[in-house]
Amino acid sequence: MTIPSLQGLQTALSGLIAEQTALDTAGNNIANANTEGYSRETALLEPNPPLTIPAISSQTGRGAQLGTGVSVTTITRIRNTYLDAQYRTQNSALSAASAQSEVLEQAQAAFNEPSSAGIASQLSNFWTAWNNLAVSPTSEAAKEAVVAAGQQLVTVFKQLSSQLTTIATQAGEQYNALTGPSGEVEDYANQIAQLNGQIKLSEEAGQPPNEMLDRRDELLDKLSSLANITVTEASDHMDTVSFGEAAKPLVEGTKVNWPQTLTETAGGRLGALLALTGPGGALTSLQTGLDTVAETLATTVNEHLTTPFFSGETAATLAVAVKASEVQASGTKAVGGNEVARAIAALRGGTAEQGYAALVEKVGSDVRAAGDEQTNLQTTVTAISDQRESVSGVSLDEEMTNLITYQRGYQASARTLTAMSEMLETLIEHTGVVGL
Amino acid sequence: MSERITPAMVTSATLNDLNASLGSLTRTTDELSSGKKILEPSDNPYGASQVIDLQSQLEGLSSYESNAQDGISWENTASTAMSSMGQAAQRVRELLVQGANGTYNQSDLETMALQVEQLTESVKQDANTEYAGQYLFSGTATTTAPYEQGAEDEYQGNSESVSRAVGPGATVTVTTNISTLLGNGEASKDGKLLDTLRTIAKNLRAGTVEAREALGTTDLQNLDGNLETLTQLQATAGSATDQLQTALSRNEDLQGSISQALSNTDDTNVAAVSVEYANEQAAYEAALRAAASIVQESLLNFLQ
Repeated sequence: MTIPSLQGLQTALSGLIAEQTALDTAGNNIANANTEGYSRETALLEPNPPLTIPAISSQTGRGAQLGTGVSVTTITRIRNTYLDAQYRTQNSALSAASAQSEVLEQAQAAFNEPSSAGIASQLSNFWTAWNNLAVSPTSEAAKEAVVAAGQQLVTVFKQLSSQLTTIATQAGEQYNALTGPSGEVEDYANQIAQLNGQIKLSEEAGQPPNEMLDRRDELLDKLSSLANITVTEASDHMDTVSFGEAAKPLVEGTKVNWPQTLTETAGGRLGALLALTGPGGALTSLQTGLDTVAETLATTVNEHLTTPFFSGETAATLAVAVKASEVQASGTKAVGGNEVARAIAALRGGTAEQGYAALVEKVGSDVRAAGDEQTNLQTTVTAISDQRESVSGVSLDEEMTNLITYQRGYQASARTLTAMSEMLETLIEHTGVVGL
Repeated sequence: MSERITPAMVTSATLNDLNASLGSLTRTTDELSSGKKILEPSDNPYGASQVIDLQSQLEGLSSYESNAQDGISWENTASTAMSSMGQAAQRVRELLVQGANGTYNQSDLETMALQVEQLTESVKQDANTEYAGQYLFSGTATTTAPYEQGAEDEYQGNSESVSRAVGPGATVTVTTNISTLLGNGEASKDGKLLDTLRTIAKNLRAGTVEAREALGTTDLQNLDGNLETLTQLQATAGSATDQLQTALSRNEDLQGSISQALSNTDDTNVAAVSVEYANEQAAYEAALRAAASIVQESLLNFLQ
C-alpha cells in the first residue's frame, strides 16, 4: 500500500486554513475587547480522520494510520451559564436595594433634618411663641406670634406630607413607565423572543449564533435588574424566561406574555417600587407616622383650650383654626392669666416632638439599611461580574500570544507546503523525460 | 488568584477603587466644611433624633432663662413699689405719733391730715405700678389698675396669681396680692392700710378728745399691724426673687451640659477628621497614580 502522493499538500492546506481561522478568531476577539456583553470566542480544532495504511512495513506486515491534517469543527463562545444565573439573581437584589435607597434618600431629603427649617425647629419655635405669650399674656404681638409660628409649623407639615406623596406618586409612575406599553419590560421581552427565533434558525443552518447569544444574554442581564428572572434553556434554543414571579412566563420561545400583574415579591426595581408604596411599605409608614405626629400635636395643644387652636387630623389637613384675637393664654376670663400658655409651652419635648424625632430616626435607619444593603450587594455583583469577565472577557495579552502561536503555525504549514512542492518537483523534473 | 485577569477587570476595579476613595474624601470634606458629623439622619439615625431632642431642650432652657429674668425684673419693680409704700406708711406713723401727743393745735392737725391724704394717694399710686404694660398688683387682671385715684378705695384687681415657668415643671409665682395689705378702704372697715390711713386723716380732722385718743391707740396699733403685713409681703417677694435666681443659675449649668452633649453628638471632631482627611487624600492620590501607570502596560509594548 502506498500513500497518495498529493496527500501531503492537502494536509498542509488544512493546517493553513485552520491556523487562519484561529487567527481570524483572535483578531475578532481583539476587535471586540471592549464590546459590552461580548464573550471571547475560540476556534475548536480537531484532527481529520486518519488514512489507514494496511501494511506499511514489509517486514512486520503491520498497518498504520496516517493523520490527514486538521479541521475547524466550530467557533464557540466561552461562557459559564452558572455564573450568568448567579449574576442575575444578585443583580435583581442589587437593583431592588438601589431603587429603595434612591426613593428613601429622597424622602430623607424631604425631612430636611437636622436643619433650622425642618419640622423640629418649627415645633421648637412654636413652643417658644407660647412661652412668650405666657410672659406677656395681654400682648397682641405675642398672640400674633403664636398664630404665625403655628402657621409656619402647619406649612412645614403640609410641605413634608406633599413631598412624601409626590415621591410615592413618582415611584408609581416609574413602575408604570417600566411595565407599560413599549416600556422596558415589553421591549426586552420582544427582543429576547425575536432572538430566540433567529438563534434557532441560525443553529439549523449550521451557523454558530455566538453574537446573537451574547445579545440575548445582555438583554437577560438588563431584564434581571427589573425583577427576578429564571431562564430555562431548551435544546432548540427556544428558551423560557420567568419574570418577577408572574403567573405566566414572560417569554416562551418566540411568544411574549405581557402585560401581567406583579406583586411586591417580584424582586428587582419593580418589586422594590411596589413594596415601597404598598401598604406597610417604608414610604407609606413614613406618611402614616407623620400624620400621627400631626394628630398628636393638634390633640395635645387643643386639650388645653376651649377654642381649638388646630384643626385637621393629618399632616396634609392640619391648619390653624383661630385668629390672633382668639388665642387664649388663660382659661379664666382674666386677661393677665397665663396658665394655659404655660401648659402649652410645657408640651415642648412631649409626645408630638418625641414622635417626630422617632420618625426622623426611622427614615435615617431605613436609608442607612438600604444603603448598606446596596453596598454589600454591589460588592457581590462586582465579584460575580469579575468572575464572568475572568471566564468570558478578552485578555489582550492572551490574544497576542494566540496571534503569535497561530501565526507561527501558519508559517510552518506554509513551509510544509513548500517542502511537498519541492519533493514533487524532484519527482517530475529530475526523473528523466518520458516518451522521448 | 488563579483566574484569568483581563484589562477590563483591571480598569473596572481601578475605577471602583477611585470612586470609593473619592466618595470618602467627599464625605470627610463635607464634615469638615459644615462642622457637623450628622448631615442627614442616615449618618447616625439615633444621633439625629438626639440632636432634635437636645436642640429643643436647649431652646426650652433659653425660654426658661428669659422667663426667670423677666420674673426677677417684675419682682424688683414690685419690691421698689412696696418699699415706697413702706416709706409713706412710716411717714404717716411719724405724723400720727406727733398728732397724738396733744401739743399741736387743730390747724396743725388739719395740715397733718392733708399730708396723710397725700401720702395715701402716693400709696395708691405705688399700688398702680406697671411693668411691661401690666399692672403688677391686680392679680391676673393686669390691664386694670388696682386702685382708682381719688376717694374711691375699692380694690379693682383679683386674687388670682401669675406665675413664670422657670424649668421643666417648675413655676414661681410673681404676683403679690396687694389687697391683703391695702384692703378696700374706709367703707369696708377691714382694718387694712387704706382703711387705717383714711381713719387717721378723719381722726386728725375731727378735733374731738375721742378722736385724738384713737390716734394714739387703735390707729397706731392698726398702722403697725399694716406695716407688719407689708414686711411679710416684701419677704415673700424677696423669696420669689431668690427662687428665680436659683433657677437661673441652675439653668445656666444645664445649658452648659446640654450644649456639651449636643456638641459631642453633632460637632465634627476637627483634629481627628483632619487627620482622616489627610490620609484619604494621600490614598486617593496613590490610587490616581496607580491608575495612570498600570493600565498603560500590555504585551503589545514588548512585541517586535
